[in-house]
Amino acid sequence: MSQSNSSNPTAANRRVWLRALLYAVLLVFVVYYLLPLYVMLVNSFKPLEEIRGGNMLALPHIWTFEPWKAAWSSAQIGVQPTGLKPYFINSIMMVVPAVTLSTLLGAVNGYVLTKWQFPGHGLVFAMILLACFIPFQIVLIPMARVLGILGLAGSTPGLVLVHLVYGLGFTTLFFRNYYAAFPTELVRAAQMDGANFFQVFWRILLPSSGPIIVVTVIWQFTNIWNDFLFGASFADFDSIPMTVALNNLVNSSTGVKEYNVHFAGAVLAALPTLIVYVVSGRYFVRGLMAGAVKG
Amino acid sequence: MASLKLQNIRKQYNKLEVLKGIDIEIEDGGFLVLVGPSGCGKSTLLNCIAGLEDISSGDIMIGEKSVVDLHPSQRDIAMVFQSYALYPNMNVEQNIAFGMEMRGIAKPEREAAIARVAETLQITELLKRKPSQLSGGQRQRVAMGRALVRDPQVFLFDEPLSNLDAKLRVDMRTEIKKLHQTMGTTIVYVTHDQIEALTLATKIAVLKFGELQQFGTPKQIYDQPNNLFVAEFMGSPSMNLMRARIIEAEGTLTAHVATGQGATLVLPLHGFEALNAHKGTEVILGLRPEAITDEASASGQDQSKVLLQSCQINVVEPAGSDTFVTTSLGGKEVIARLGADAVVSAGESMPLAFNMAKAVFFDPSSEQRIA
Repeated sequence: MSQSNSSNPTAANRRVWLRALLYAVLLVFVVYYLLPLYVMLVNSFKPLEEIRGGNMLALPHIWTFEPWKAAWSSAQIGVQPTGLKPYFINSIMMVVPAVTLSTLLGAVNGYVLTKWQFPGHGLVFAMILLACFIPFQIVLIPMARVLGILGLAGSTPGLVLVHLVYGLGFTTLFFRNYYAAFPTELVRAAQMDGANFFQVFWRILLPSSGPIIVVTVIWQFTNIWNDFLFGASFADFDSIPMTVALNNLVNSSTGVKEYNVHFAGAVLAALPTLIVYVVSGRYFVRGLMAGAVKG
Repeated sequence: MASLKLQNIRKQYNKLEVLKGIDIEIEDGGFLVLVGPSGCGKSTLLNCIAGLEDISSGDIMIGEKSVVDLHPSQRDIAMVFQSYALYPNMNVEQNIAFGMEMRGIAKPEREAAIARVAETLQITELLKRKPSQLSGGQRQRVAMGRALVRDPQVFLFDEPLSNLDAKLRVDMRTEIKKLHQTMGTTIVYVTHDQIEALTLATKIAVLKFGELQQFGTPKQIYDQPNNLFVAEFMGSPSMNLMRARIIEAEGTLTAHVATGQGATLVLPLHGFEALNAHKGTEVILGLRPEAITDEASASGQDQSKVLLQSCQINVVEPAGSDTFVTTSLGGKEVIARLGADAVVSAGESMPLAFNMAKAVFFDPSSEQRIA
């Protein structure tokens, strides 16, 4: 290759230009995607006067953490000046059990649908799959009714149940496809070794499910953390999740719009999902690929 | 250790019958090989013995006890799977210990058992490795270790050598045979490789389409195949089958086979009284390649039953220890097995010695052996 380069300078030149053009285009896209994040971050560190003075893109003249502190612990949310902190905790209390339970149940479903097949298992799977395609809005009223009957209306456990039920379709799909490629001989060997239904699951299948667990957890965490509709519909004062609180923060008017506080609040709301992606993003891609090739 | 008895085993999937009444009995310490082409039901039969699949009717006895209603783990059997089925998340030691752990055996006992088995199979230095860090042969050993550690009544092997390369397969075959000789445990072994079947078995069951074609010792299967299918399936190269006419001349029976050159090969039949019923009809004559040989190699055989006849040689295939040549007989290519030093080239004629002591005869329509 280096030989052809030296013997043919025009071709080499053209290659360099094409490469430069490619990087230029990519750079434009990078800026395009990162600009909103940049604007949010920069302005969250500015005093309000500086924002009102114009130029959203400029770096702060005076760096201040006040907007962050305000957004976290003292900003007006609805009628209470609590900041986002209690709602952040609400969201954690909702997301952790919802993600854990839906992932575990999805794994058990996938295990049964592939390794303990019963007559009509295909139909059952098709029906679970159908749950993935039901729009959120359709289930609102029936769900409200069910939560009322169960006495869970307006509570965090109620929200956990909603997200668990809604997420089960996806988690089952993920695990079923992953376990379909899992050798059945291993299950049979474990049965002959005397392992029962749950021992096979805990000792053989689950320890080999790393990639698909990561995919499912990321998927479920992002969806449940970012959910607004269920939170807005089913939460009470003491169970409002982060997303709804952020909306309330932005819409609570006390005269002035505190853009810097709003920006800081928005970044706070997005932070957990960002962290999850940064930490396990490469497993996510790997897991999706594994599913694509094998499943 | 125990005997194994299969009584009229039937297995149906909806309307499809995959096992059609199998009766097999293997004595304590025997080595039973189930052999047949793909889809003959041999693996299904093994899974039924293991309890991984239910039978539709019939009975399975291990020792004097029926095990049909028992869970696989209660049948006192151990199985080596085709893919080895080693648990990927556990190391070798944990793999071997898993069954004992499930049965609630105390840790010191488990460790002693692992050490003993690892010693037998020479895998002691591999105990801490994961299956992914093992070669094919090592995985095979670990899979056998997992079965051995149970010290079961019956071992089940499901095509255990089919994932190994040719050289390793021969080594492991010898090792399995050695293991059987030292342990003396009853073994049921599934394979589609007829050489494995002949070398390992004390009893062979040949299956086709879910039906038992023949059950007997390797020698019976090889020398007296029940029908054309068994004759062709067992042995490599397979048995030569040629059309022959039974004719009585001067008080003795003879079989007439057309040679490629328009001549007729007349083979004397001594001791084939059963063929009297087929005088004048066409039958199928089966002769193993080693029953057609050169004059020097035939010198040790019963000369009264050996006939020399000149045949035109079409192809010569030297195989090191033997030389295989083909000639045309009864409208078919026939393979003869000559000594390694036989001097012959394609297109020549040479005298071939036909050893009729080893001949078998089949009815062309029913395909069953008649003599």
